Amino acid sequence: MPVWLREHSWRQTLTAVYLSLPLRGARATPANIFCSEQYLKVSIPPFLFEAVLYAPIDDTNSTAKIGNGSIFFTLYKKEPAMWDSLTLANADKEKLQYLRENAVLKAQDKAKEETEAKKITKQEHKKYALEATMKLEEAERKRIEDLKEKERQKVAKELELWKNQQKDGDKYKSIQKKEELHQEIEPLKERKNEKINKTWIPNEGTSKTRLKSTKGCHGSSSIFSQNLKEEQLPAPRAAATIKVNFTPRVFPTALRESRVAEEEEWLHKQAEARRIINSDLSELEDLKEEEKNPDWLKDKGNKMFAMGDYLGAVNAYNLAVRLNNKLPLLYLNRAACHLKLRNLHKAIEDSSKALELLTPPVPDNENARVKAHVRRGTAFCQLELYTEGLQDYEAALKIDPRNKNIEKDAEKIRHLIQGTMQDS
Amino acid sequence: MSAALGAERPQVVSHVQQALSYTVFDCKWVPRSARLLCLGSAARGTGVVQLYELHGARLELLREIEKPKPIKCGTFGATSLQQRYLATGDFDGNLNIWNLEAPEIPVYSVKGHKEIINSIDGVGGLGIGEGAPEIVTGSRDGTVKVWDPRQNDTPVANMEPVQGESKRDCWTVAFGNAYNQEERVVCAGYDNGDIKLFDLKTMSLRWETNIKNGVCSVEFDRKDINMNKLVATSLEGKFHVFDMRTQHPTKGFASVSEKAQKSTIWQVRHLPQNRDVFMTSGGSGSLHLWKYEYPAQRSKKDSEGSEMGVAGSVSLLQNVTLSTQPISSLDWSPDKKGLCVCGAFDQTVRVLIVTKLNKI
Repeated sequence: MPVWLREHSWRQTLTAVYLSLPLRGARATPANIFCSEQYLKVSIPPFLFEAVLYAPIDDTNSTAKIGNGSIFFTLYKKEPAMWDSLTLANADKEKLQYLRENAVLKAQDKAKEETEAKKITKQEHKKYALEATMKLEEAERKRIEDLKEKERQKVAKELELWKNQQKDGDKYKSIQKKEELHQEIEPLKERKNEKINKTWIPNEGTSKTRLKSTKGCHGSSSIFSQNLKEEQLPAPRAAATIKVNFTPRVFPTALRESRVAEEEEWLHKQAEARRIINSDLSELEDLKEEEKNPDWLKDKGNKMFAMGDYLGAVNAYNLAVRLNNKLPLLYLNRAACHLKLRNLHKAIEDSSKALELLTPPVPDNENARVKAHVRRGTAFCQLELYTEGLQDYEAALKIDPRNKNIEKDAEKIRHLIQGTMQDS
Repeated sequence: MSAALGAERPQVVSHVQQALSYTVFDCKWVPRSARLLCLGSAARGTGVVQLYELHGARLELLREIEKPKPIKCGTFGATSLQQRYLATGDFDGNLNIWNLEAPEIPVYSVKGHKEIINSIDGVGGLGIGEGAPEIVTGSRDGTVKVWDPRQNDTPVANMEPVQGESKRDCWTVAFGNAYNQEERVVCAGYDNGDIKLFDLKTMSLRWETNIKNGVCSVEFDRKDINMNKLVATSLEGKFHVFDMRTQHPTKGFASVSEKAQKSTIWQVRHLPQNRDVFMTSGGSGSLHLWKYEYPAQRSKKDSEGSEMGVAGSVSLLQNVTLSTQPISSLDWSPDKKGLCVCGAFDQTVRVLIVTKLNKI
């Protein structure tokens, strides 16, 4: 239940109403005051004051002053008339409620309108700002353009001046050149017709320059010195050849740094291909068609391994590898053969190559990789390199942890290692 | 570090652009004039030489000469200032020297190479340097030959591959070290990244190296002084600046290299008025202006006591993109500082002015 504030006091003039409302210690802010045309409310929980005014007021111009523990309202009447009382006396509950709601709605509308108006003004301000910046930038650009133009014109003028100087100098030269022309063309034409090799006499040149050197208006010092130089021109050099070696380059195109890597790769591949072709040439002619198929050869090898013919199996695998050296299974199986043949180093090589080719470690080639590790591990152990062997066994275990045989063998190797360490 | 920053940096101003109806391979200023030459190949497979004059904001075509074979390169380097004969190398391996006033018959002609002459350079002319005027040509047949216009048919020096060795294309040649009558050096760059320095006085190979990318252009900073710096540009956007004053017996010349852009650097040209400023032109149609700064000490002793060069540093002064096609040729005017012409594969020749070069 709100606490009603009833100790207000008011006085009026023809146009305004002055209302003073003591607040009994409560603090008021503008948010607590709600005013519409005919309804005034001050709500500072738990205090409440409301008044349905006798006549409508101009709520936009009316003011409220908060201070000294009270609020002082200055309400301007819409129609200048003396009020009998501050509030409508015979206001019943319904009317009151209706008025209140109305007031609230009106206030909301007003608030909406205000926000609308604010938005519009904001947009206009933005537009204005944009136009102003555009104008400024235009002005800047124009300024720069003008500077450039001025520079261009200045430079063009200078050029004109210089050119005119040149022109005057050239006039003299062209006159004299015409005289020379006739003298020069005749002997040239003769030479062409007769096809005799005459050496070009340098002194001809000097005699002509002496004739016209007097009239040259600029560069005259250089002309005179040229005369002297021409008289002292050394004879043509004795012909000689210098032999040159070039940095070797396979490609006929120019060298570019960015292409060097690509070129190296290409050359490498070419070399490989050539190697394969060359090695196959002599012997492959003897073989039948099916024997040139690496898969057929692999099967043959497998059969021979099963029968115990390890050397034959190795041969089959060798040929298959020559034909296609990218099949990991060939190396894998050849490693097994080498193990049986006790070619332990070769077994290690082959298992390593197989593992290399099985590089993307996917579940598909798990089986093959386990086998490769186990075979390599066995070879290491037989070479008494137990630590490396153990590494391979553990790698195999990692791929296939459920294989009991591998586990047992790994255990054995560990004991062996510990045994040797204790001995030494 | 150079103090040219912001508004003080040299600006590259495009003065004139001229659209051509043929592919231009080389463009050169005619010395002592405001005229320039464009050399190239017309669509029908013939060679074109056009002479333009700079008139205000445009180029006026003075003369157009057509030759049977497309022309790849040209130079004025070996003629006197009065004669101003143009030496050209064409797609067929012919070296010709033309008098532009009477271009029907060459003043000198020789079928110097079996394949296209990629690059040509001349020394001893134009009042620069001393000694006999000579022309060097580098060709796709792997040989570099030096010619004297007074001697017909045979070169005065021939740098060719050893018998049986497979040849590499020579892409660029340059003269240098011509500070007196006897000394002369030719530098050649090949497509396999080799740079070779031939000494013409002793007729021997003086230095060679490989910069790991095909060498597109080499130039000494000055032809007529004791060799000071050599810039070699290559494919893949790299260029190397070699300090040529100190040669170490095993390590050769010290160098600094810079990777400027992602595309081939087609040409390098030093500013005739300042030998530490040079411009590189790239396959992306851009031009970069560089300045070389010398180190505090240009040479030092290594652990065995032999002299070793120290390379300095290179800083970028300005860069500008003019075209979408490679700018294959570049030439500074020897008479007006900052004036240069460049020809690109988009069949345009542009005259540019580089400003504020006095302040560097």
